Amino acid sequence: MNESSVLVIESDPIVRESLSGWLSSTGFEVTSAEDGARIVKVFAKSDFNIVIMDVRLHSETQLATLREMKAIRPRIKTIIITSHPQEEKVLEAKKIGVVDYIVKPVDMDDLQKIIQGTVESICRDNVNITEDNTSFETSGDDLVPGIKKSFAISRENLSLMVENLLKETEVIGVKAKQGKYVYDRIYGFYELSLDYDVTVSPPTGYMFPAKETLLKFKTGNGNHVEPVIEYTPRVIIGVHPYDIKAIELLDEVFMNHNPDPNYTARRENTVIIGVDCLHPSPRSFAPSMGTNWTETGFDLLLTDIGNSYIVKIGTEKGAELLAKHTKYRLPTGDEIVRQKKVRGEALNRYKIALDTPKDRIPKILEESYDDPYWENRSATCLSCGSCIMVCPTCYCFDVKDEMAMNLKEGERFRRWDGCMLVDFAKVASGENFRKDKASRFRHRMFRKGKYILERYGKVGCVGCGRCSSACLAGIASPLEAFNSLAENIRLKEAATSVIQPAKQARHIYTPEMAEILSVRQLTEKEKVFELKLKSGKKLGHYPGQFVTVSIMGTGEAPLSISSSPLRGKNFQLAVRNMGDLTSALHSVEAGATVGIRGPFGNGFPLETLEGRDLLLIAGGIGLFPLRSLIQYVMDRRYDYGKVSLLYGCRTPAERVFTEELDFWQNSKEIDFHETVDMPCEGWTGNVGVITNLIDKVDIDPKKTMVAVVGPPVMYKFVIEKLKKRDLPDAHVFLSLERKMKCGVGKCGHCQINGIYTCQEGPVFSLTQLRSLREAVL
Amino acid sequence: MKPKVAFFDFTGCEGCQLDALNLDAEDLIDLLNGIDIVNFREVMTERSDNYEIAFVEGSITTEGEIERIKKIREQAKTVVALGACAGIGGVNCLKNHVPMEEALRIVYGKDAKYYNTIPARPADAVIKVDHYVRGCPPSTSELVKVIKALLLNKKPDIPNYPVCVECKMAGNICVYEKGQTCLGPVTRAGCNAICITSGRYCWGCRGLVDEPNIQSQKDILNKYGLTAEQVIEKFKIYDTCSEVLK
Repeated sequence: MNESSVLVIESDPIVRESLSGWLSSTGFEVTSAEDGARIVKVFAKSDFNIVIMDVRLHSETQLATLREMKAIRPRIKTIIITSHPQEEKVLEAKKIGVVDYIVKPVDMDDLQKIIQGTVESICRDNVNITEDNTSFETSGDDLVPGIKKSFAISRENLSLMVENLLKETEVIGVKAKQGKYVYDRIYGFYELSLDYDVTVSPPTGYMFPAKETLLKFKTGNGNHVEPVIEYTPRVIIGVHPYDIKAIELLDEVFMNHNPDPNYTARRENTVIIGVDCLHPSPRSFAPSMGTNWTETGFDLLLTDIGNSYIVKIGTEKGAELLAKHTKYRLPTGDEIVRQKKVRGEALNRYKIALDTPKDRIPKILEESYDDPYWENRSATCLSCGSCIMVCPTCYCFDVKDEMAMNLKEGERFRRWDGCMLVDFAKVASGENFRKDKASRFRHRMFRKGKYILERYGKVGCVGCGRCSSACLAGIASPLEAFNSLAENIRLKEAATSVIQPAKQARHIYTPEMAEILSVRQLTEKEKVFELKLKSGKKLGHYPGQFVTVSIMGTGEAPLSISSSPLRGKNFQLAVRNMGDLTSALHSVEAGATVGIRGPFGNGFPLETLEGRDLLLIAGGIGLFPLRSLIQYVMDRRYDYGKVSLLYGCRTPAERVFTEELDFWQNSKEIDFHETVDMPCEGWTGNVGVITNLIDKVDIDPKKTMVAVVGPPVMYKFVIEKLKKRDLPDAHVFLSLERKMKCGVGKCGHCQINGIYTCQEGPVFSLTQLRSLREAVL
Repeated sequence: MKPKVAFFDFTGCEGCQLDALNLDAEDLIDLLNGIDIVNFREVMTERSDNYEIAFVEGSITTEGEIERIKKIREQAKTVVALGACAGIGGVNCLKNHVPMEEALRIVYGKDAKYYNTIPARPADAVIKVDHYVRGCPPSTSELVKVIKALLLNKKPDIPNYPVCVECKMAGNICVYEKGQTCLGPVTRAGCNAICITSGRYCWGCRGLVDEPNIQSQKDILNKYGLTAEQVIEKFKIYDTCSEVLK
């Protein structure tokens, strides 16, 4: 690309000729045209950086031409020549790509200054974006391949390298299929298409396949469980920088904080040979996301500079591979210039761009949470999942058990899942935490623009444009959402998050076996199970934490722990019969073996509670998790001030742990009140909603900490009541339910906005929840 | 105690039952270790009316069939609709678009007066159906999956998302990208997008997902060149149009 190619659009032939002549004489490459409307057609095919146009600012046709040119070439710089510049009209013009204006009659010196300044800014832009730290050294060990060094390699020698690789490993490459491009296994260099625009699916599936087995198991005596980690060593050739950036994100998600052994094994056995994207898809906006070039994440990176390639070394593995399999040489000065040139040209081929710096996206989204955009734009959403299935940065999954036909052995597998699908956030009780299209649509955009970035420090959208190609309804492009919302925002502080490491396990998805020591029926639908880990170790939990319980063949579900960690090595799980797993659990007897993972999550903040008055509030089976705290507090009663417990449920028949309720009723150590919504004959206690009980308790808001566990509907009313009693948000803690599968912050189901209930929760302070809109309080 | 299983057919081609037998010998033996088949016209002559699980195939197209399927419901603890005809009405419902007399005349000509018929309907239009084995024909693996789930007392893992999900997992190029049209975006997955992977498009044989965005699907078909009538035709073959026409 020539930085000084200029298009002059001027209707007056005399002015046009003299301007063009003068520009040519000062070193510009000039094309001229009589009017803009006609030029728009050829505009897309040519390479102009600067347009000088005679514009009557009150002419809508001419403004439309400017808009059209800006749409075709977002990076174009337009200088307008105009007679009567009104301020608001100039402002409007600046929004559509006009960098400066000059008033008639034209002073050539002024014009030259403006053009020179514009050329310089174009050069600066390109340098910023194509900045490359490569040093083309010329010392004695020039040809020793090392990280960050670049060499030249002929097409023949690249072919030689691929053919040699094919002799020793599986090679995946980009090839043409039915007019599109796909990643597929290749058997010869001739199959490769290295100058492609974009592939239908991203290469991430080779590290994180659509379906994979995590565990194999045998049921019956002993419940034999074996982790399964399968991988094939392979080389992937032709990965574009935006996909390399996506792989870097998956590495962060799956290889740090609770490393995922399956992903890690595959990733460590994958060699990535990238290639610069020189002919981007018209839907791509990678430069806006900073993902059109990359300095990291590849073993080797190729740039096609005509007859040869520049190859950059990213890792030792890449260096070895290059040295072993082919011939290469130092690039010539001309080749280095050509690399810069082809990259510059590529940058100019992108057709769409963000209207705002990408760093502002999280704030834009935060400010736009309640924008009608989500509702309006998602009306045509098919919930078909196409956008998330082709997204290189999507990695959420579901976990299921599949038994063999003999019903004695089976496997636990994971399968891609995602937040745009209707049932993604639906729990066994039927509650769906993102039940409408708008909330799912919004959540995906927040993931892409905000949540992932804040959690992992890497962009959640790499601008590949696959989702907008795949979306039949035409609504999936994050670029469109970010640009549309960009006008309505103000800056606010970024949220932070904490990753909670799971207890160190050999394989994070493999449960530890535990024996059910006893089973006791609590009500018609609820039982309490006492368990002990077969290893003899203590579970090591805190009140309010949860475990996942596995019955191999049926599946796995998260259950809160109902007993205090201070009461020996055993632990208790109280369970309502509601879904597949709980129903299977209800049918087992003492002596049976189940799988346990965890404990997971954040429990009640014991240090914050110590020394304070406590108000504990449980609704229905919210008593199950709260009981771990109640027991804990009773065991260390001297550490706390006044302790009050409020318990409410629908009917007397649904009261759980009735002996304990009686005990607390008669205990002097705890101020206990209970109520039922619907009394039955013989019920002599309180009748009414649980909030009525709050009136019965003396509360010193400064000294009192509150822990609440109950159904979602109860929280709103309890909080209202507590606020009337002047309790600060920081003194109120609630435990939230969400759909959960993995427990280790990977599978994505339990997200409330950008946080993971299994990591930061399930217990949250009201202060935390105030900034989480999906918590619905 | 192995549960007793019976297979019954109503109006249909019986291809679903035939396909059910396409199991590997080893799997078939394992299957028969888990269940007792007491009634299966296509493979055995013995018949018994003592069963817990009933598979019903075919749609309901006569008054007599209504009575028969109600009796089955009374006997069985669990009723499973096998295939598209029993599950969603299927191809038999094509006749619902003409008057019944006309349908009889087209099929039976001068003998039409000897026959009776009512608009075709799926099993769940007449009785409560507990589970569905979807597809035309259903894959053997789905039938086995549902049987295993019944034996394990859990919900079968049948997705409530559209075929697009599995189509993308399979790495297919979208049918619409090739300029054709497809019912994948509203049809329930579970088939691994087998038709598209094999070079065709989705006909909707597995029925709609729970919350299909029909309006949007219609608009998209329009956008890709189909007239309103052609859109209805598109949905007609397995009677997903009855939902569309609502």
